[in-house]
Amino acid sequence: MKRRFWCFAAALAATTALTAPMFATPATAQDTSFYATAAVPYKGTTIRVLDEITPLQETLSKIVPEFEKETGIKVEWELLNHFEVINKGQADMLSGRGHYDAIMLHGAQLGPMLSAEAIMPLDKFVADPKLSDPGLNAADFIATPYKTTAFFDGKQYGFINWNYNHVYWAREDLLSNPEEMKAFKAKYGYDLGPAKTIEQMRDIAEFFTRKKGEKLAGKPLESDFYGIVLEGIKGGSTFSNLWVNFIENYGGELIDDKGMPAFDSPETVAALKMWRELWTFAPPGIAEYSLVDVPTVMGNGIAAQSLAWSDFVLGIDKPGVSPYAGKFIYAPIPAKAGNEAHRHADAEPSVTVINAASEHPEATFLFLEWLASKKQQDKLIEMGQGGVPIRESSWALPAIKDSSNPTLFAAMKSSLDVATARPKMEKYPEIIDAMSGIAQEVGLGQMTPEEGAKAGQAALEKLCGGKSCTLAE
Amino acid sequence: MSATTEAAPAHAPKASALRESAWYPYILIAPSMITLVVVSLVPFIYAIYLSFHQAKFGRVRDFIWFDNYATLLSDERFWNSIGVAATFVFIAVPIEFMLGLVGALVLNQNVRGRSVLVPLLFMPTMMAPIVVGLLWKIMLAGSWGFFSYNVLERFNILTDTSIFASPDLALYALIFVDIWQWTPFMMLAFFAGLQALPLGPYRAAAVDGANPLQIFFHITLPMMTPLLAVIGLLRFIDAFKVFDTIYILTNGGPGTTTETPSILANKMTFEFWNIGEASALAVLVWIAFFAFCTIFYQVAKKRLNAF
Repeated sequence: MKRRFWCFAAALAATTALTAPMFATPATAQDTSFYATAAVPYKGTTIRVLDEITPLQETLSKIVPEFEKETGIKVEWELLNHFEVINKGQADMLSGRGHYDAIMLHGAQLGPMLSAEAIMPLDKFVADPKLSDPGLNAADFIATPYKTTAFFDGKQYGFINWNYNHVYWAREDLLSNPEEMKAFKAKYGYDLGPAKTIEQMRDIAEFFTRKKGEKLAGKPLESDFYGIVLEGIKGGSTFSNLWVNFIENYGGELIDDKGMPAFDSPETVAALKMWRELWTFAPPGIAEYSLVDVPTVMGNGIAAQSLAWSDFVLGIDKPGVSPYAGKFIYAPIPAKAGNEAHRHADAEPSVTVINAASEHPEATFLFLEWLASKKQQDKLIEMGQGGVPIRESSWALPAIKDSSNPTLFAAMKSSLDVATARPKMEKYPEIIDAMSGIAQEVGLGQMTPEEGAKAGQAALEKLCGGKSCTLAE
Repeated sequence: MSATTEAAPAHAPKASALRESAWYPYILIAPSMITLVVVSLVPFIYAIYLSFHQAKFGRVRDFIWFDNYATLLSDERFWNSIGVAATFVFIAVPIEFMLGLVGALVLNQNVRGRSVLVPLLFMPTMMAPIVVGLLWKIMLAGSWGFFSYNVLERFNILTDTSIFASPDLALYALIFVDIWQWTPFMMLAFFAGLQALPLGPYRAAAVDGANPLQIFFHITLPMMTPLLAVIGLLRFIDAFKVFDTIYILTNGGPGTTTETPSILANKMTFEFWNIGEASALAVLVWIAFFAFCTIFYQVAKKRLNAF
C-alpha cells in the first residue's frame, strides 16, 4: 500500500512538472484564445494583404498560416518588390476598388495617402473590446517611431510593422589593421576606429581612397578602392539620407516646426559641403547607386564604410553571400562633432494600413494586431535569427542578444532610439523628387552647396505654394 | 447536297448587293474602328477632360479651364523635358538613318554570309526595351559594369565618373543605346526597300555609263524616298516617346538631364498622382506631334511624292 502511495505521488509530481509550463504561460494561452474567439464572426473571410519582399517579410510569410489556422480567416499574402508595392498599393487605394484590404506603406507615403483619405483609421477597432487584444501591450512598441508613424491628427492608422533604419557600416578588418592604424594616427592624430562623428567618417573616407596598385592592409589593390559608398540615385532614399543623417545632424532642417521651408540655412550649406566632399571619396557610379547597390558594393569589398539600411545589411553580412561576411563592424550613425546631444539617424518606420475601401476591415484589423503581437514578433525574430525589432522587448531575445554580430543590433537600437517618421506632407513625392535632383547635383559638383541650399528652398516654396508643407492637424 | 446547290443561287444576289452597297467598306472596318474608339479614342478624350480639371490622387474635382496647361507651360521642367527629347531625337534618328542606309546599301551588294548576318543584325531590335536597358546597365554601370570596368576605367578613358551618373554624358549614352538598338531596324527596312526596286532603271543607267554615285542620287534615292520618309517619320515618333530604356538606365537623372516628356508624365501620374497636369502634358505633346506630322505629311506628299 505504502509502495503504491509513493508510486502515485511520483506519477502526480511528474505529471505536474510536465504540465506546469502549459499553465505557466497564461499570456500565450490568452493570446490564442483571444484571436480565436474574436475571429468567430469573420471565420471563412478572405483578406488580401500587400507587403514588400525582403528577407524579413519572407520569414513572416511562414508565420501567416498559423493565423489562418488559429482564426479561420484566410490571408492572401502577396509580396512584391519595393516599387511595385508602392505603385500597385497606392493605385489600389486611390482607385477605391479595395482589391487589397491591407497595404504596407512606408512612412513617407502616409502624407499623400492621408491627404487622399485612402486610409481607414483604426480607432473604432482599438476601442472595441471584441477586437482589441488586451494583451497587445502597445507600450512595448519602440516609442518614437511608433508614435510618429502610426498616429496623425489624434487618430491611429496602424501598428508599427517595419522599423527600417540606417546604420554606420565599416570594414573591421581594415579599421583594426595595425599598419593602417599606425598610418592613420600619423596622418590625423587620433586612433582609427568606427567613426563617431561625421568629420571622422570624412577622414576615414579620405584615408582609404586608393588607386589600383597601391597597398591596402599590406596587399596591393587589384582595382581602385573607395573610402565611402552612399546612395546617390534619384528616386530612392538618397535625399532622406542627406536630410536626416547630414543636414539634421548639422542642425539644419528641411522644414521648420510649422512646416515652412527652412532649407536655405548655414547649417544646410555646411552639410551639403560635407556631402559633396564625401562623394569625391566614393565610387564613380555613386549617382547610379540605389539602396540595393550600396550593400552590394560593400559586399564586393571595394569600399571602406557606408551608411546603409540595416535590413539590407542583414542580407549581405552572411557567410556565403559576401566574402567579407564577418569582417564588418557597425556603429550608430555618426553625429556632427560638438552636436552629439542632438544626434539624428535616418529611418523609415512603416505601417500596414487598412485600405479605406476594404470590405473586411475587422478581419484585417485582427490580422494586423496579431502580427504586431509580442508572440508573433518574438517568433519572427527567432525564425529569422534576428531582424529589425518593432518592440523594445525584442532586444533581449536570444537571437539578438546572443547574435554573432552584436554591433549591428547595437547600432540598430541606437538609430531607433532617435528615429522619427517623415512629416506628413501631401506633396512628399514631388518634394523628394526635386530635392533628390539637388542632392545629386551638389554631390556631383554640378551645383555649389550654397546654390543647392537656395535651389532647395526655392523648390520647397514653389511646391508648398507659400503655405505649410505638412498636412494640417 | 442538292439543297446546298439550290440555296446558293438564292443567297448570291443578297451577298452581291451587300458588296455593292455604300455601307460595305464601313461594315468591314467597323470592328477595328470600334476597338480603336474604345481603347484609344475614349481614353484620349478622357485625358482631355482631365486636363481641364483639378485631378489629384485620382479624384476629379473642379473645372479649372487652362490652369493645368498654364502651370505646365510656365514650368522649366516641362521645357527641359522637351529639350531633352528633342536632343535625343535630332541626334539619334539622323545617325540611325544614315547608318541604316549605308548598311542597307552594303548588304545589297551580295555580301558573303548575308543570310547569317541579317538575322544577327536584327537581334538588338528584337530585344524588349527593358532587356536592352538591363544589358547596357550591366555593360556601362559605374565601377562594376563589364565595359566600364574593363575598358573605360582600365584605360583611363573615363575617370572619376561613370557614364549614367554624369550629367554631361548620360544623355549621349542613352542616344548611343538607342542607335545600337534601332540602326539594324532601319538597315533591314531599307534593305527590303532596295530589294524591291525595279531593275529596269539600273539597266538603262548601266547602258548610259552612269557611275555609282549618279546611280545612287538619280535612281536609288528618288525611288526609295517614300520608304525613307515613312520609316524616318515612324522612328522619329517612336524615339520621341522613348521610355523603357531611360527608365531602367537613369530614370531621368542625374538631376533632370535625361528626363523626357514620357518619364516626366510617368512621374507626374504614378509618383505625384498629379493626374490633371500629367493629362495636360500628354495633350500638349500630342498636339505638337499632330502639328509636326501633318506638316511633314504635306511636305512629303507634295515634294517627295512619299504618300
